[in-house]
Amino acid sequence: MLYREAGQFKTSYGADQQIFPILQDRIFVLLVIVAAFLVVPAIASPYLYTEILIPFLILSLAAIGLNILVGYCGQVSLGTGGFMAVGAYAAYNLWLRAPEFNNLIVVFLFGGLMAAAVGILFGLPSLRIKGFYLAVATLASQFFLDWMFARVKWFTNYTPSGSVAVGKLEVFGVQIDQPVERYILILAIVVVATVVAKNLVRGHIGRSWMAIRDMDIAAEIIGFRPLRTKLSAFAVSSFFIGVAGAMWGFLRLGSWEPLAFDINRSFQILFMVIIGGLGSILGSFLGAAFIVLMPILLNQLPGWLGVKMSTALLSHLEFMVFGAMIVFFLIVEPHGLARLWSIAKEKLRLWPFPH
Amino acid sequence: MSARARSFNEVLLSVEGISLSFGGVKALTDISFDIAKGEIRAIIGPNGAGKSSMLNCINGFYHPQQGAITYKGVRRSQMRPHEAAEQGIARTFQNIALFRGMSTLDNIMTGRNLRMKTGLFWQALRIGPAEREEIEHRRAVEEIIDFLEIQHVRKVPVGQLPYGLQKRVELGRALAAQPELLLLDEPMAGMNIEEKQDMCRFVLDVNDEFGTTICLIEHDMGVVMDISDRVVVLDYGRKIGDGVPDEIKRNQAVIDAYLGVGH
Repeated sequence: MLYREAGQFKTSYGADQQIFPILQDRIFVLLVIVAAFLVVPAIASPYLYTEILIPFLILSLAAIGLNILVGYCGQVSLGTGGFMAVGAYAAYNLWLRAPEFNNLIVVFLFGGLMAAAVGILFGLPSLRIKGFYLAVATLASQFFLDWMFARVKWFTNYTPSGSVAVGKLEVFGVQIDQPVERYILILAIVVVATVVAKNLVRGHIGRSWMAIRDMDIAAEIIGFRPLRTKLSAFAVSSFFIGVAGAMWGFLRLGSWEPLAFDINRSFQILFMVIIGGLGSILGSFLGAAFIVLMPILLNQLPGWLGVKMSTALLSHLEFMVFGAMIVFFLIVEPHGLARLWSIAKEKLRLWPFPH
Repeated sequence: MSARARSFNEVLLSVEGISLSFGGVKALTDISFDIAKGEIRAIIGPNGAGKSSMLNCINGFYHPQQGAITYKGVRRSQMRPHEAAEQGIARTFQNIALFRGMSTLDNIMTGRNLRMKTGLFWQALRIGPAEREEIEHRRAVEEIIDFLEIQHVRKVPVGQLPYGLQKRVELGRALAAQPELLLLDEPMAGMNIEEKQDMCRFVLDVNDEFGTTICLIEHDMGVVMDISDRVVVLDYGRKIGDGVPDEIKRNQAVIDAYLGVGH
C-alpha cells in the first residue's frame, strides 16, 4: 500500500537505470542520510559515537570492500585484516614522514592505494586457484602481513612496543578531534564510497565481476579476460578495505598495534558479508550492523530487563546467543539479511491486500 | 529437398587437417571443412563424434595438436578465447552457460562488454561518458530483447526462467556482440516442437537480417535439413560426409553411422 511503484513510468533508459528506480526508496534513503548528518549529531552521546556508530560505519566500508571481492567476483578472501593493516600502516607512515600531507583525505587515499597494490599482488594466485584453495592462499597473506608489521620495525617507526599513535588530525586545515567531528568525517567518506561501489557494481565492470563469479569459462569465451577482471576486483576491494583500515586506526583507535588487524578481524568482516548478503551493498551495512550491534544489545539486555547476573555468565551467554542467532539466520535465509529485506519489500507492495 | 538453395563464394573460416586428442583419446582426426560467409552450416553426428570439440577448437577454447584454422584470411594455430571474441566469433553452449545470478538484461549486456571502454574513474562516478555509454549499449540490447521477444523477463534473474527462455537469452547474449560468425551448440536440445519452431525462426532471421554466418550443432535431422545450407557429418572424430542436405541424406556412410551397419 505504502510501497507501491504503480504509476511510476520510466520514459528513458537513464531513468530506468538509476540506483533507486522507485520513488519511495529514493525518499527513504535521502531521509536516512539527512538524519545521519543532522539529527544524530544533535542527540548522540560520545559513547554512541565511539562504541556504536563509528565502528559500524568503518566496518560497513570494509564489508563493502570484501563484498565486492567475495560477493560480486566470487573470490573468497580471508586476508581482510591484513589489507586493513596495509591501509592503516601506509596511512600512518605517510602522516608521520610527510607532515605536509597532514590532510586525512590524502592520507586515507594513500592507505587505500597501497592496500590496492598489495591486494593485486596477493590476487595473482586467483588465476590458478579457486574456492577454498584461494581462501587458504589469502589466509597466507593475512599471516604474512601480520608478521611483516610486527617484525619490520620501519613500519612502526621503531617504537619499542610496536604500538603506533596518531594525533593532531586535520582535513583541509580543520581539526578532527571530537567524536562528533570524527563521526561526520567517517560518515561523509562512507557515503561517497558507497555511491562509488554501487556505481561500479551496476556498470560494465561490475557485470564482468559477476560474470566471472557465475561462470568463468563462459565469461572468458564472451571476451572477458579472467586475470584482468579478477585483479580489478582485488584492487577495488582492497582499496575500500585499506581506507577502512586507515580510518579504523586513525579515527577509531588513535593508537594501535598489529593485533588490531589480526585474523579475527578477517573472520569478523567475512561473517558480516555472509550474514548481510553476498553480492549486496545494502547487505554489507546490514551485516555490519548485526555483528557490531548484536553483542552490545545482548550484553545490555539483561540489565534493561532487570535480571541480575554475573559479568562472566553474561559474556558467556552473549557468545552462545550470538552464535545461535548466526546459525538461525543462515538457516532461515542463506542469502542474508539483504534478501530478507527485499522479500519484505515484495510483500509490502501488496500489503495489506491479499492479492 | 533442401528448403534453401543458395550459393556462396567467399570463405569466412576454413579448418585444415585438425587433430585433437586428450591423452590417448582422439577426439578429432584430420578434419577439414570450410564455412562460407553468410551461410548456415550444420555439424551433425552421433553422440561423442567430436562436434562440440570442433566448436571449441574454432573459438580457441581447445588447442588442436595438428592443423590450422584460417579465419577471415588469417591463419592461426593457437588463440585465446577472448581473442576469438574480439574478432567476431560468438557462441552458445550445449548446457546453458548463462550468468545465473544476473538478470536477463545484464546477461545480454555482458555480450557487449568488449565494446564498453570507459575506465574505472568514470564508472565510479557514473557521469558523462560512463552514463552515455551505458545508455547507448542499453539501446542496442533492447533491440535484441525485442527481436527475441523476451521483454517480459527483462529484469528477471535468469536462474528463475524456464529452460526454453534461458536458451533464448543465451542466444541474445551471443547476438549482443554482433558477431560475424555465430556458433550454436545444440540450440534446440530439449525443446518442445513450438519452442523449436521459434528457435528456427530466430536462427533464420539472424542469418537473413544481420547477415550473420552461423555454424550449428543439432540432433534434430528435420531441423538440420530444413535450415542449413551445407552439412558436415562427423563420426568418431572423423569427417564422413560434407555437402548440401540432399547429398547428406543419400550418403551411405552417414546412413550407416546413424542406423548402424548389419554384420
